[in-house]
Amino acid sequence: MKLASHYNKVTIVVTLSVLIVGAVIYYFAINHIARTLLDDHLSEEVSEVIGYVNLKKELPKQVDFDEDQTTFALLKDQHVPTRFYDTLYNNPKLAGTRAGRAVEGTMALNDRLYRFNIIISKESTEYLLQIITTITLVLVLGLFLVLFLTNRYLLGDLWKPFYRILGQLKAFNVSEPVEFNRVESKIDEFAELDDAVYLMAKRVKGDYQNLKHFTDNASHEMLTPLAVITSKLDTFIQDETLRKEQFDQIQDIYSAAGKLSRLNQSLLLLVKIENDLITDTEESELQEVILEKLKQFQELLSSKEITVETALTVKKLKVSKYLIDILLNNLISNAIRHNYSNGHIKIILTGSHLVFENTGSAVTLDSTAIFNRFQKGSGSEGTGLGLAIVRNICKVYGWTIDYKFVDGFHSFEIGWNQTEIPQVLH
Amino acid sequence: MKILIVEDEKGLRENMLTYLSEEKNICESCTNLAAAISKLSLYSYDFVLLDIGLPDGEGFEVLRYLKDEMRTEAVIIISARNSLDDRIKGLNIGADDYLTKPFHLSELKARIVAVFRRKSTNSNNKVIFNEISIDLIERTVTINGTEIILTRKEFDMLLYFVANKGKVIAKTALAEHLWGDEMDMHDNFDFIYSHIKNLRKKILDVTSNDYLKSIYGIGYKFTDR
Repeated sequence: MKLASHYNKVTIVVTLSVLIVGAVIYYFAINHIARTLLDDHLSEEVSEVIGYVNLKKELPKQVDFDEDQTTFALLKDQHVPTRFYDTLYNNPKLAGTRAGRAVEGTMALNDRLYRFNIIISKESTEYLLQIITTITLVLVLGLFLVLFLTNRYLLGDLWKPFYRILGQLKAFNVSEPVEFNRVESKIDEFAELDDAVYLMAKRVKGDYQNLKHFTDNASHEMLTPLAVITSKLDTFIQDETLRKEQFDQIQDIYSAAGKLSRLNQSLLLLVKIENDLITDTEESELQEVILEKLKQFQELLSSKEITVETALTVKKLKVSKYLIDILLNNLISNAIRHNYSNGHIKIILTGSHLVFENTGSAVTLDSTAIFNRFQKGSGSEGTGLGLAIVRNICKVYGWTIDYKFVDGFHSFEIGWNQTEIPQVLH
Repeated sequence: MKILIVEDEKGLRENMLTYLSEEKNICESCTNLAAAISKLSLYSYDFVLLDIGLPDGEGFEVLRYLKDEMRTEAVIIISARNSLDDRIKGLNIGADDYLTKPFHLSELKARIVAVFRRKSTNSNNKVIFNEISIDLIERTVTINGTEIILTRKEFDMLLYFVANKGKVIAKTALAEHLWGDEMDMHDNFDFIYSHIKNLRKKILDVTSNDYLKSIYGIGYKFTDR
């Protein structure tokens, strides 16, 4: 639930209860005041009646004046206490019964006790009460409506800067060069939030750029010493007075230098893929590329006497030629490297997926770990980056990659399940 | 051939100098942009080997200078940066080839020979070694006037050997040249042996000179001595 609706709910509940309690109290207070006024009026009537009786020594005639009804009744000894009460009475001038306020009490005349009873109409006070109630109700409804509308529209407006900042945060991508747009707000909290988010984004991007440059520079700086090592070795082996054992040592240094150089290049490539720096795309027919690749690997395949079965259908892809080349290189060289002599490789290409299957060790690999960096089998001579690169290339194009071990075949399946190439984020 | 090496890394520069200095080659070297341009303004060379990351600027400046002066020096860029952008930029300003560090000296030599032949006039696009004549355009090889049929790999191999004649070539260098380091042959050199065997057999079919020598476990040498 949004904060605004939460806020709306709370204000409406609170306002409503306060208003209801207030209205009840208000009603009783008005009622009480009105009754007191009526009772004062009745007391006056009583004093008038008693004054008249004391003066004239007789009961006043039963005349109705001012809609008041006064009645007297002779009492037999009992004394009626004076009390005020609500009653209904018949007004002869008007049809039907009316609500009234009455007083009864005892008075003495000529040694006899009389009970007197005076009723006056409550109609005018009730009318007043009705009007006041109506006005109050209208006011409450009005207030309610105003509150609701304010909360909904004015407060919604108030929150706009917040949603703009949030939107930018959601779209934030550390590797993109897009600047963070400042959100102007007169509200201190939002202005502060905007400042904080802006500074954070700037800092994170700065750090990221530094790290990227560092990786880039470090990898490049390593290449020159590597070139020195290689060229020294190339010069060194010109001396044919060296013994066989020394040549063997040199060969090992060559291998290590070569591996270091490949590792370095793979790292640089990973950085490039992760930063979307490879953006060239062209339409290529994958089945052609695969066949071409197999030709390139022919010597390696025949040296291990590996048989290759292919079932390729026409599949057009709009991808970077460079990346698809690396993807296939890594998959094929893995399938060869981790294979045994006289082994098999199956390559299946359909409209929905590409599968590489190869025979190899009888142990199922950890399907989540194998795609991680520097994850490699104990006997592997590779860099440990091959499948990490494959996974990252798949990620760039929104493909899926899965590993299975079925019937002695290690199977890597790439699914082109996406309808369109999703994001080349620019 | 007169070659100017522009490279700031001492170890690399010296080895390039030693490797490339042969009977017919004169090599000079310098370590920065200013020295390179002053040398080029005074002398003319056949070849410039140019590092891009120099202490006082980018090597592209030398290329621009050569282009502005309409010079004919062939240029091979040597760079630690393997980016396509740099490669295209260099080749656009007039470089003839682009070599990424680290590289084998034998690879550099082979590139120099290839570029040099390509840039020469039509009549001179043959690489000759004693009775062996390699036509770079037609991609044919004749020995004593007899054409021998080589596969693409064997042709590339022979050219590589002839370009580095008299030098010991590491088999790592040969594998990288023939299959590229992207293929990641991971120290499996079995397939090289078979190509070498076939090449040697084809050559020995038409000539009695066995130029191709195996050097212990390290590599090969193509020599007439």
